[in-house]
Amino acid sequence: MAPRLPARCWRQLQTHHHQQSTITTLVRPRASSPPTTTLLLPRTTTRGVKYGWSTLSPRAKVTRFNQVTAGLPAPTTGPAAALKRRERTTPVRAGVLAIKKGMTAFMGKAGARIPCTVLQLDRVQTVANKTRAKNGYFAVQVGLGEKSADNVTAPLLGYFEAKGIAPKRELAEFKVRDASGLLPVGVQLLPDWFHVGQWVDVRANSRGMGFAGGMKRHGFKGQEASHGNSKNHRTIGTVGPSQGGGSRVYPGKKMPGRMGNERVTMQNLPVLMVDNDLGIVVVKGCVAGPKGCVVKIQDAVKKPPPPQKFVEHSRKVLEERFPDAEEVLEAARKRHLELKEARREGRIEQLLAAGVIQEAAAASPIPGDASVVY
Amino acid sequence: MNVAPLSRRPLGCLKTALRQSRQQNALVCRSMATATATSQSAPGLARLPDHNFYQLKDSKTKKLRSAFAVYQTPMVKTEPDPKKVVKRLPRNAPRVPAEKLPGFLIPPPDPMPMLHATQIARMDPTGARTALLAKTRQGARPGDILMVTHRRGGEPFSGVCMSIRRAGIDSAVLLRTHLNKVGVEMWYKVYNKNVAGIEIVKRARKRARRARLTYLRQPKHDMGSVSEIVAQWKKTRKIMSTRGGGQKGGKGKAKPAKK
Repeated sequence: MAPRLPARCWRQLQTHHHQQSTITTLVRPRASSPPTTTLLLPRTTTRGVKYGWSTLSPRAKVTRFNQVTAGLPAPTTGPAAALKRRERTTPVRAGVLAIKKGMTAFMGKAGARIPCTVLQLDRVQTVANKTRAKNGYFAVQVGLGEKSADNVTAPLLGYFEAKGIAPKRELAEFKVRDASGLLPVGVQLLPDWFHVGQWVDVRANSRGMGFAGGMKRHGFKGQEASHGNSKNHRTIGTVGPSQGGGSRVYPGKKMPGRMGNERVTMQNLPVLMVDNDLGIVVVKGCVAGPKGCVVKIQDAVKKPPPPQKFVEHSRKVLEERFPDAEEVLEAARKRHLELKEARREGRIEQLLAAGVIQEAAAASPIPGDASVVY
Repeated sequence: MNVAPLSRRPLGCLKTALRQSRQQNALVCRSMATATATSQSAPGLARLPDHNFYQLKDSKTKKLRSAFAVYQTPMVKTEPDPKKVVKRLPRNAPRVPAEKLPGFLIPPPDPMPMLHATQIARMDPTGARTALLAKTRQGARPGDILMVTHRRGGEPFSGVCMSIRRAGIDSAVLLRTHLNKVGVEMWYKVYNKNVAGIEIVKRARKRARRARLTYLRQPKHDMGSVSEIVAQWKKTRKIMSTRGGGQKGGKGKAKPAKK
């Protein structure tokens, strides 16, 4: 059945052309007389440069249906729906990167022994923010440690130049729930970003075991030592049924292969201690990976987020410690644009020779000397 | 440049030399004598952290291809006092207001010894437990017979020390004896509060030439029950002590036995 036009369309028509317009003519404009059709068809063109254009066919624009104003239920698919769905399981605050330093124990006054893992935050800095408008999600990019410029590629050197921070050893993103979780760029996150007693999720890559057999990798039983067994004591045996099962190996069959070195998340670890001087966060229990591996720590997903008061406090502390982060970033951006222009035009050599470097070096002491306190 | 008249050549050389020296000035490490002056010349750059230039050079021609500013993190090295006991603040403790940091805090590369020191200071204020683990004449060694008294009473456990695991606050000793003619081994965490005291009942006659005396598990080397040796030691201690009744292990102290 052809769609019925709303009343406001043909009411107007009726007032102008009483004698000839009927509902039937409206529904089938082809059958009606020429003046009626001109009235019915829109006079404005919808496809033109000034109305915007797209390489997609007009029907490909999925959003033309199901608009907010259409009174239909909100879509359950698409980016907005996906973000909404994950809202509850996305932490409110960004996390930090750390290095696993080893395990030890806390001895309680009542004789309890709590095994714990020591994680150290080494020059953890915020590097960038990802926003919904630009990137499709909210996240904070965080860097750890420091890297010699010799080991950094030119594109990344430019990236860090624009941020006004030293090249970082590791970079990682931490998704946050909304824009309130974004942080000023270039500030240092210290262990007191967490508080004692809160729960965190700790992610790390487990120890790599190399190519492992079925017994070690999946806990297969292996085969018997005797009863006619010949040189097949640790092999996995058959991998699939015969003709009745299709005479094939099913996808996902557990077999020997690379074991370990995969992402392992330890959920809901309580924080036992934070110490800014030592730069450590001590969490209860064990964390995957060898000593010296890089771990990600973030507020636990399956526990209530830290109290709002603490969230605000930790945020305020950051801003108080680094009040001019914004200005530094802005200055670095400006300088980056200048240098970028110079590089593009091949002027960088003259620029360095002419005294940009002089100015920069006037304030910079010996490169790489960590003992200097500014 | 080559077609330039010879008369202009010396001046050009001078210019090049000066330019080079200018570059050298910036790149070469300065001595400690020259004080650093903060650059106030450019107002826009005043906020920028210190930076140097990393130069990318062509591998063949050795010419400058590109250069990037490489910033340095203004750093403050934290030097925690090893004697300082880290207080575990209660959850609702009032927080100290933050101040503007002069730079970035750089933690010590290995925090574990300092963490152990603070923990040990908290759990063993008298230093008796640490003395037991020390590699001195007074300390316990594998092969010695030790007696562990428990905080909540009960029979003290004594046995031959098979190994000492030195791991800071988590240090432990492994004792072996026979109970009811069955070999029994027990690990004791030295700094745990459940361990009231550890006493050295008998020193090994000779220094053990292994760190871990796992061979004691073999029937050939098994020492069997140490209860007789311990009973004898208790008797002599009773005689020697002036107070009647004999003291049962120091309270929270591990005192080396006197022979």
